[in-house]
Amino acid sequence: MNDNLAIKINKLFKTYDTTEALKGIDLGIKKGEFYGLLGPNGAGKSTTINSITSLVKPSNGHIQIFGKDIENDFRFARSKIGIAHQEVSTDWFFPLEQLLYFQAGFYGVTRSNAQKRIEYLLKKLGLSKHRSKKMRELSGGMKRRLQIAKALVHDPEIIILDEPTAGVDVELRHDLWLYLQELHQEGKTILLTTHYIDEAELLCERVGIIDKGKLIVEDSVPNLKKLVNNSSIEIQLQKNIDDMSFLKKYKFNVNKNIVHIFTESPNLELPSIILKFSEQNIKIEDIHIPKTSLEDVFLDLTGRKIND
Amino acid sequence: MIRNWVGFYTLSSREIMRFFSVWRQTIIPGIVTTLLYIFVFGVALENRISEISGVSYKIYILPGLLMMNVITNAVANSASSMLQMKLLQTLPELLITPLSSLELSLSFIIGGTIRGFVNGILILSICWLAGMPILNLPLTLLFIFLVSWSFSSLGLFVGQLSDSWDQLALIQNFVITPFSFLGGIFYSIKMLPGWAMTISQFNPIYYAISALREATLGVSDASFITSAVFLVIFTIVTTAIAVQLMATGKKIRF
Repeated sequence: MNDNLAIKINKLFKTYDTTEALKGIDLGIKKGEFYGLLGPNGAGKSTTINSITSLVKPSNGHIQIFGKDIENDFRFARSKIGIAHQEVSTDWFFPLEQLLYFQAGFYGVTRSNAQKRIEYLLKKLGLSKHRSKKMRELSGGMKRRLQIAKALVHDPEIIILDEPTAGVDVELRHDLWLYLQELHQEGKTILLTTHYIDEAELLCERVGIIDKGKLIVEDSVPNLKKLVNNSSIEIQLQKNIDDMSFLKKYKFNVNKNIVHIFTESPNLELPSIILKFSEQNIKIEDIHIPKTSLEDVFLDLTGRKIND
Repeated sequence: MIRNWVGFYTLSSREIMRFFSVWRQTIIPGIVTTLLYIFVFGVALENRISEISGVSYKIYILPGLLMMNVITNAVANSASSMLQMKLLQTLPELLITPLSSLELSLSFIIGGTIRGFVNGILILSICWLAGMPILNLPLTLLFIFLVSWSFSSLGLFVGQLSDSWDQLALIQNFVITPFSFLGGIFYSIKMLPGWAMTISQFNPIYYAISALREATLGVSDASFITSAVFLVIFTIVTTAIAVQLMATGKKIRF
C-alpha cells in the first residue's frame, strides 16, 4: 500500500504557542492522484502543506514522500515537490526569466538543462512577452502565473498548490484549472488546498475536508455527497393550494406556492409526483431538483458554512 | 557537506548579482565617504593634527576607514538580503529547495563577503592613490577577505533574527558603528585611559583595524600575531554561529 503513496502523513500535530493548529492529521495521497484539501480559512490546510515542504516544523508526527522521510532524505523529498504558496512572493531585483533560472538552479538544474523547460513554461503560462520585466511591472495575475511557473520549473512529480486561484480573475482561474487537469493527465500527483467548493468538485478525485486541525472526512466527491441526505424536489405552483393531503406518502413542507418534497431518489420519484399534481388538476409553474454540493457536506458535518 | 553544488553556485551568484544590480547603493557610498574623509583630514585638518607612530594623521586613519567600510558593507549585505527575503516572501521559495542549511548560509555569507571585499579593494586603490603605502599586499588582501567573511556571517545571524528594518538599523547604529569608532579608526588605543584600553581588547574591530594597519603601514597597536590569530578564530566562530542558527530554522521555519 505504502509503495503506491506519493505523500504519507502520519499523526501530524502542530502547536503554535498555545494554539493547536493540527490535531493528528493522517493522510495518504496516491501517486498520480488529484487530491483536494478543503476547509475554511484557518482550518490547518496551509500548516499541513507547509509541514510537507519543511517550512513548518511539526510538533509530532511523520511525513514521507515516495516512502522516504522528509527530514532524513530532505534532498530527495524536496526535489520531488513543487509548491506554489498562497502568498505571492516579490523579488525586486531580477527579471522574471532570471528568477526562473535561479529557482531551477536551487533544485540543481543547470542553466543549459533548464532552458527548454523555462521556454515551455513561459509560453504555456502566457509569460513569454513579459520575460524581461521585473516583478513590480507585473499585474497580480501575472505574478500568480510566475508563482506557478516557479513551482513547476524543476518538473516535480508532486505539485502542491496552496489556494492557487484565491484573488485571481475568472479567466485566469479557468486557464489554471485547464492546465492543472493537463498536468494530472500527464501523471503528476497534485495536492490542492482550497476553500472554493466548485474548484474541489471540478478537479479533485478525492477530497479531504479539514476543520479545526482535524481531517474530518475524506472520499471521492460523489461518495462525500452521499453522506448528506438532503435530496429533495422543489415544485413551484401557479397558485397557493391549501389542501396537500394527496402528498401524504411523502415528507414535505409548503411555503406559499412552493412545495419541497423530500425523497432519497428525486429523479425516480419525479414522474409519479407530477402525476399526483395532475390528478388534482393543480398546475405546475416550475420544477427544480437541488444538487448536493460539498458545501452541504461541510455544513452537515460541522454545522457551519465553509466560507463563514 | 556541500552536495547540491549547482544550487550552492546559483544562490551565491544570486547574492552577488543582487548587490551589483544596485551598485549606486552598495558600491558608490563607501567610495564617496572615503574621499570626503581624505579631503577633510588631508586638506583641512592635517596640519593641525600631529603624527601618530611616525605616520601622518591622514594616512594613519585610512586603514581604519577602509575596514569600517568593509565591515559595514559585509554586515549590511547578508543581513538585508536575508531580511528582505523574509519580508517579501521569497525566503519560503528558497527554504523548500534541496539546499542544506550549510549551503544556504555559506551562499549568503559569500554574497556579503564579496561585497565587503569589492568595496575594500576599491577603497584600498583610492587610499593608495592618496599616498597610503601597502607594505604587504597579500596580507592586506587576506585581512580584508577574513574581515568581510566574518562580518558577513555576523550579518546573516542578525538578519535571520530580525523581523523589521528597525531592528536591523538598531544593530547597525548601536553596535557596528560604535564598535568601529571605538576600534581605533581615528586614534591609537594607547592614547586611551587604561580601562578603555582593556575594553578595546575585546572589540574584534580593533584587531581588524590593527592587522590592516600593520599590513599596510607597518604600525599597529596589537601585535601582528595576536591580531591575525584573533581574526582567524573570530571568522571560524561567527561562521559556525551563522550556520548553526540556519540549521535551527529559528525565525524562518515555524
